[in-house]
Amino acid sequence: MSAMDYDDDYMDDDDVDEYDSDTGMDVDDDGEDDYGAGDGFAPVVADRDVKKPYEVDFKVHSTDEIVAFQTKEVAHVAGILGCLPEHAATLLRTFKWNKERLIERYMEDPEGESEKAGVVMDAQKQAKFAIVKGFECPICCNDDADMETLALHCEHRFCRDCYAHYLNEKVAEQGESRRIQCMSAGCKVVVDEITVEKVVAPEILAKYRSLLLRTYVDDSVHLKWCPAPDCVYAIECHIASNQLLEVVPTVRCKCGHQFCFGCGLPDHQPCICVLVRFWLKKCADDSETANWISANTKECMKCMSTIEKNGGCNHMTCKKCKHEFCWVCLGPWSDHGTAWYNCNRFDEKASIDARDTQAKSRQALERYLHYYNRYANHEQSAKLSSELLEKTAIKMEALQSTSTLSWIEVQFLRKACDVLLESRMTLKWTYSFAYFLSRDNMTALFEDNQRDLEMAVENLNELLERPIPGVDVASTAATTITPQQQPSHHHVNNGAGTPTSMSKEPSATSLPPLTPSHSTPSVLVEDSIRDLRQQVLDKMGYVKTRREVLLSDTTQGLREHRWGMNVDMKTGILFD
Amino acid sequence: MVNPICQARLAEERKQWRKDHPFGFWAKPTKNTDNTLNLNKWDVGIPGKPNTSWENGVYPLTMTFPEDYPQKPPKLQFPPKFFHPNIYPSGTVCLSILDEDKDWKPSITIKQILLGIQDLLDDPNLDSPAQQDAYVMLKRDKPGYVRKVRQQAKEYTPKDQ
Repeated sequence: MSAMDYDDDYMDDDDVDEYDSDTGMDVDDDGEDDYGAGDGFAPVVADRDVKKPYEVDFKVHSTDEIVAFQTKEVAHVAGILGCLPEHAATLLRTFKWNKERLIERYMEDPEGESEKAGVVMDAQKQAKFAIVKGFECPICCNDDADMETLALHCEHRFCRDCYAHYLNEKVAEQGESRRIQCMSAGCKVVVDEITVEKVVAPEILAKYRSLLLRTYVDDSVHLKWCPAPDCVYAIECHIASNQLLEVVPTVRCKCGHQFCFGCGLPDHQPCICVLVRFWLKKCADDSETANWISANTKECMKCMSTIEKNGGCNHMTCKKCKHEFCWVCLGPWSDHGTAWYNCNRFDEKASIDARDTQAKSRQALERYLHYYNRYANHEQSAKLSSELLEKTAIKMEALQSTSTLSWIEVQFLRKACDVLLESRMTLKWTYSFAYFLSRDNMTALFEDNQRDLEMAVENLNELLERPIPGVDVASTAATTITPQQQPSHHHVNNGAGTPTSMSKEPSATSLPPLTPSHSTPSVLVEDSIRDLRQQVLDKMGYVKTRREVLLSDTTQGLREHRWGMNVDMKTGILFD
Repeated sequence: MVNPICQARLAEERKQWRKDHPFGFWAKPTKNTDNTLNLNKWDVGIPGKPNTSWENGVYPLTMTFPEDYPQKPPKLQFPPKFFHPNIYPSGTVCLSILDEDKDWKPSITIKQILLGIQDLLDDPNLDSPAQQDAYVMLKRDKPGYVRKVRQQAKEYTPKDQ
């Protein structure tokens, strides 16, 4: 169904890879290609169906598709069981839309299963409004003779008004839909769709229906709503929970949001969900504060007050208990006499132990900070990339007005920014992953890959930040606001050396004037732009390759259980 | 502001209670300053079950009915610091039939609620503790817990017994 749209994105990616091999392409063709890919008109690329090890299959569904699918399933089951679609729907919901299991179980014990689901198939027992003589509603205690009453097949009868109140409350206030039970205390019979339809106002019914629709996605393990704000799509992905230890099921919604199907967080390849959870917890809680305290403070041996030494000599006097001791060996100062630097108490067991634990804490803290700093740094850089995107947008404007390049031909810059951002995110998570790896040869390999990607990313970033020779971004930013009447005017003037907004580039102005009909600086500028474009495309291709290598290898390693972990996967406690 | 359904139901509950109620219990609407009955707030006494460490005590609580009762459950409150694992330090009772998102149903009567609370006294639900003192003590020091409960029962024993 909607999978086609997603494929476009795949094509997109693969096309960029091609830049590596197609370096000889001239600017125009290349640009066309770029455009075509983005728009879904690109020719089918042979290897685009080859799934990378870290990719998972998924589909994006619109609400309509989900409704249609649901209706189809319901109709199918209703046909097999020979019941009303509403009842089939309730049964399916109870079985979390596992059709096979429902049919199997139902065939074994129709009454039992219907009862468990709170359904009564018998059309005779359908809830109908009735006026019952001498009836008093047990809820509102009303006993009007002409009062309409309603009872589900459990025969618990209540008045229509109480039912309406109850359903309004459940649907509108509590957002309940499929598990609304009979109003009688302890009765488990479910108020079915047909009954709700009879009782509630149209707007409540609409809300009830949309809630039911949501439960379909919420109940299914293979479906998830896209967590992006206001996004209406749901993603289908068939990944078992035990596979989450081997792969990060990153999916991309039609709205553009990329997230992990396993945990719903934004894409965190290559770090698997469970490690992400441990990592975020570690970053959030104050376990490292405790480490800092034990690494940077000592305790008074007498009163156990925590002391941070922030200057002065090693002769400590505890502010609290006035105990005097040596900061170095933690022994009493009286043993030191006047010469602390001859501290001869090093071998004392107590102080050795104290220093050992302290060294351990310090090491743990340093290790954590090593990974955290790099993790945070990439996160920060990724945040700064919105600035880079803005700057790049201005650059793209400038390129268009300075050279003969069209809008579509300068898109490579924006694309490079996207690649950069994506790779920064990957790098960020490699640090949290590496934090949980034990020190071995495999980890060294991982770190090599990490380093290669990091270097490639920094190179690309630098290139993108660098000003483009011959293109004055500042003045172009200004000219973009002014009406487009200037070009012909300044091109003519240019030859005469008049400083115009476009031609401050020294090499361009120093050129001998060419034929006035041809724009003078463009030839050189265009050369340098073409050069830049090639460089950007090369570096971008390289970054993409490095990222792919890292992700593929990490996933492969997870599948082969190649990575030694220094963490208990159940508790998240680090091994020593 | 006054919801007729709520008032009608409460009046009926009152009638039923006066006609018949379980032994040892008492429940009556409070009085407004002008001496009229306030059906939305009741004073209640629940006796501890015989042959349990709660026996002899009659435990006082207030029962407050919201305006959208019976769609919403009443709120039940013991005196603050009441010693029981499922009663919050404020005295509010944590019970699934009193939670509109859990097992509350509009048809649950006051009699059913009060009997439910009586059951809860000697049969606490350790899956949803509401106060630390009683919960921890019951888990770690059962004899101490029983002692504490008996002492509390003594405090709440009516004077005339």
